[in-house]
Amino acid sequence: MVSPSENLNLNNMYKNVLVLGGGVAGLQAASSLRDLGYRVTLVEKGEKPGGHLNNWDRLYPGNITSSSVIDGYLSNSQGIRILTNTTIKSALKSDKLLTVITSSSEEITVSAVIITTGFSLFDATIKEEYGYGLYNGVITNADLESLFISGKIHNREKPSRVGFVHCVGSRDDKVCNRHCSKICCMTAVKQACEIKEIWPETEAFCFYMDLRMFGRGYEDLYYEAQNKYGVNFIRGRVSEVGEDENGKLVVKAEDTLTSRPLKISLDMLVLMSGMVKNPDNKALSAIFETSIGEDGFFAQPHPIVNPTGSSSTRIFFAGSATGPKSVAESVNEAKSAALSVHMLLSNE
Amino acid sequence: MKERLIFGYDPFVLPFLIGMIFIIAYLLVGTVRIILSLNNNEKKQLFRIFIPVNAYKIVKDIILDCLLHVKIFKRNLLLGYMHSSIAFGWFMLIVLGHIEVMLFTPQRNGIFYYPIFFRYFVMETEETLQGAFFFFVMDFFLLIILSGIALAIYKRFRSHRLGMKQTTKLRLGDNIALYSLWLIFPLRLLAESFTADISGGSFITKGINDLFHSFVSNPANTLPVWWAYSCALGLFFFTLPFSRYMHIPTEILLIVLRHVGINATSLRDGYSEAEIYSCSRCGICIDACPMSFEKKDVKFTSVYFIRLLRRREIAEQPADLCLMCNKCVEVCPVGIDSTKLKLICREINNGAISFDYTPVKYNSPLKREKLLYYGGCMTNLTPSISTAISKILDKAEISYVHLDKDQTICCGRPLLLSGNLKGARELINKNREAIISSGCTTLLLSCPICYKMFKEEYDLKGIEVVHHSVYINNLVKSKRIVLKKTTDTCVYHDPCELGRGSGIYEQPRELLSSMMLLKDSPLQNNESICCGGSLGSISMPFAKRKIITGGSLDNLLTNDPDLLVTSCPLCLKTFTPLNSKRTADIAQVVSEQMIN
Ligand code: SF4
Ligand code: SF4
Ligand code: SF4
Repeated sequence: MVSPSENLNLNNMYKNVLVLGGGVAGLQAASSLRDLGYRVTLVEKGEKPGGHLNNWDRLYPGNITSSSVIDGYLSNSQGIRILTNTTIKSALKSDKLLTVITSSSEEITVSAVIITTGFSLFDATIKEEYGYGLYNGVITNADLESLFISGKIHNREKPSRVGFVHCVGSRDDKVCNRHCSKICCMTAVKQACEIKEIWPETEAFCFYMDLRMFGRGYEDLYYEAQNKYGVNFIRGRVSEVGEDENGKLVVKAEDTLTSRPLKISLDMLVLMSGMVKNPDNKALSAIFETSIGEDGFFAQPHPIVNPTGSSSTRIFFAGSATGPKSVAESVNEAKSAALSVHMLLSNE
Repeated sequence: MKERLIFGYDPFVLPFLIGMIFIIAYLLVGTVRIILSLNNNEKKQLFRIFIPVNAYKIVKDIILDCLLHVKIFKRNLLLGYMHSSIAFGWFMLIVLGHIEVMLFTPQRNGIFYYPIFFRYFVMETEETLQGAFFFFVMDFFLLIILSGIALAIYKRFRSHRLGMKQTTKLRLGDNIALYSLWLIFPLRLLAESFTADISGGSFITKGINDLFHSFVSNPANTLPVWWAYSCALGLFFFTLPFSRYMHIPTEILLIVLRHVGINATSLRDGYSEAEIYSCSRCGICIDACPMSFEKKDVKFTSVYFIRLLRRREIAEQPADLCLMCNKCVEVCPVGIDSTKLKLICREINNGAISFDYTPVKYNSPLKREKLLYYGGCMTNLTPSISTAISKILDKAEISYVHLDKDQTICCGRPLLLSGNLKGARELINKNREAIISSGCTTLLLSCPICYKMFKEEYDLKGIEVVHHSVYINNLVKSKRIVLKKTTDTCVYHDPCELGRGSGIYEQPRELLSSMMLLKDSPLQNNESICCGGSLGSISMPFAKRKIITGGSLDNLLTNDPDLLVTSCPLCLKTFTPLNSKRTADIAQVVSEQMIN
């Protein structure tokens, strides 16, 4: 096999690129750039790279584990300088270079930057009516994934009924997030199936507004959830959650298909916390002179024909820094951004 | 001082005289119509004016509100001066004019125009102390009025200089009346200056006469000026019914109706009619209204709503949009209950919509306890509050029953505010039954919306209705729970329904001060700004609400507190997503600060 860097323009060897954020988009962008012959520094503010995937059990379609995805990147990270527990303080622009100063006061001079800072998970305590943090039975999608990873899910008493609430903190003007988080419908269906795999007798209910099964294979899983696993889908928002004398969750919702209010008691309720802007976006946008949309995600001037381009020539985006995306989409964008960097730098 | 003209008449008095007769006739007919439109009961109530206490209050209010405009003074000195200088000054000119007639030309007593044009008809014979005194006070009050008019003119063009961000927009009738009003007094000054060397005058009239002697002492110029003065008066009287100045006579009637205990029950009954015409369009409610954060929404504020009513135009949009935060009512110097009028509008428009309820019932037979806690729909959406309250009650070792722990029946206020009285009644009856049959003696509420409802619309004889901020404060004062201090600072947001709605301002502040440093915000207590979440509005979209929430937060966070504390679940829910600092209910704060 030919090593990818062998047939590359030697010029690239001396050009540095900074990738900001060590999630799946950042890892992919870094490895693509490295393969194209650039010297890549990957800055991650957390303790280790991997981002949200570190806390996720399995991915769909294909049912592969997130850890295998991350391990794939990390085992092939030679040539990438990874700085963890590091953030960016400021940046100085000169003609064709940018000098970036990190939180450990290191100066890194690069020719381009790819911002892959991703998203944050919506803080479900803000939707107080769902009782997250107040009732033991209420958890988020991320909590459930952690229970899957650690295996602690098996220590829990078998619930007789589990509910999944879609659109928590998404499509909700009241919490100032109008956007759809895109993948949580799929996550809910996936998690409902996983619960049914563990406890086949448990009844599962998904409370949704619309089901957005946009990807290939998604609709299939939705059918499987209904036909194979018997998951119940109820179209209507949950209005409030309470706890009764016995500690059971009392969930009130509306079934908009039958136009009737509904009250149901459950043992576990999983909230599909949505993807919201990374709180660092504002500061980063000021440092790198890019712009931010009304929803707080980075804004691209030409989202359709140049989804990875920013308003600054040397700054690129990839992944959910510019809005909710699936893992596959983030990987794709990372490759695309790496190529855009290459097209810019190899002509200089 | 003696008469100069034998007949005591000159044709120039005619415009004034006709205008005067017109307006008196108009007002008489109007008053009779309003009185006739009262129902029998209300008509009987009218006799209460003869009860001395009422009569005293009516006279006092007329003097304080209509003449001196004390309420406007309290809000804004300059604006108050502007209103009272014109009203009181004019009133004094009329009174003094009459006294002059009585003293110097008693034979002309009772002639309408005589006191007004007194200076034209008399001549100074000898200098008397008494005469000089009248000259002086008449000139003095004229000067006061002129200064008021000057301010009014200035305000028209530079309203912010008088502390008002916005002033009302006028239409034709208003404009004619306005300009004639502006003209009356300068013309009077000029007219009296002309005759000052004949009939006498004091520091300004005489002064002007001396200064422009050759012009003003020319007899050919005299009469036209008196004509102009009389015409301005006549014009003013003729346009009065079609302008906002109808508020001057109507407010007196409104004060009378209010003090005999009459209230608005429909959009065009006697009382509401009087309210509608009493609005002086002073514009104070514009700046007070949170909807005016957005300039284009100024048109929905109470002053314009009332104007729509007066013109019998459709007022549904502002009526539905209003947050019912009651701030405009609080600040209105005339005391117009515009939210009540909006409610009546809603009853007409929305009362017909039927909401379909699946029958709700309180299932489990309740334990019997002295204390009954009702969280209400809003607290059910903010379980942190009910959790905190149960912690506090447990710590104080008070046993209680939580009426709507896992079953909710709304208190009915949202329905009431939407104009559906029948639906609200159904809920009220259901809850009332459950509460009375529980055998409790105290009903504890954590939602000001419910609190106001239970206090005012439920007939819960013998049961004490109390809001948690007051209840917890009493627990602290009686040492049932003990709190520790923290170094955090906080600001307190007065929820509309608890503050302006129920008059509770002090207890929550006392409670907070016992735990931490309580900071002020520029607009607080009865001036507090609605959080924007109010369920009073039935049509306001979130985009507009967000702007109001932002404005309200800006006010609250002025002094940079660590914590924003409120005592209403709806305020809590509304502020939390937009507040960069922590928002908490007062019960949460207490439950965190309790020591054993
Ligand atoms: S993907 Fe589904 S659950 Fe997620 S925000 Fe969109 S509609 Fe709601
Ligand atoms: S409603 Fe009251 S405050 Fe508003 S303009 Fe009329 S008189 Fe002034
Ligand atoms: S009640 Fe509040 S929102 Fe409604 S008009 Fe008055 S001040 Fe404005």
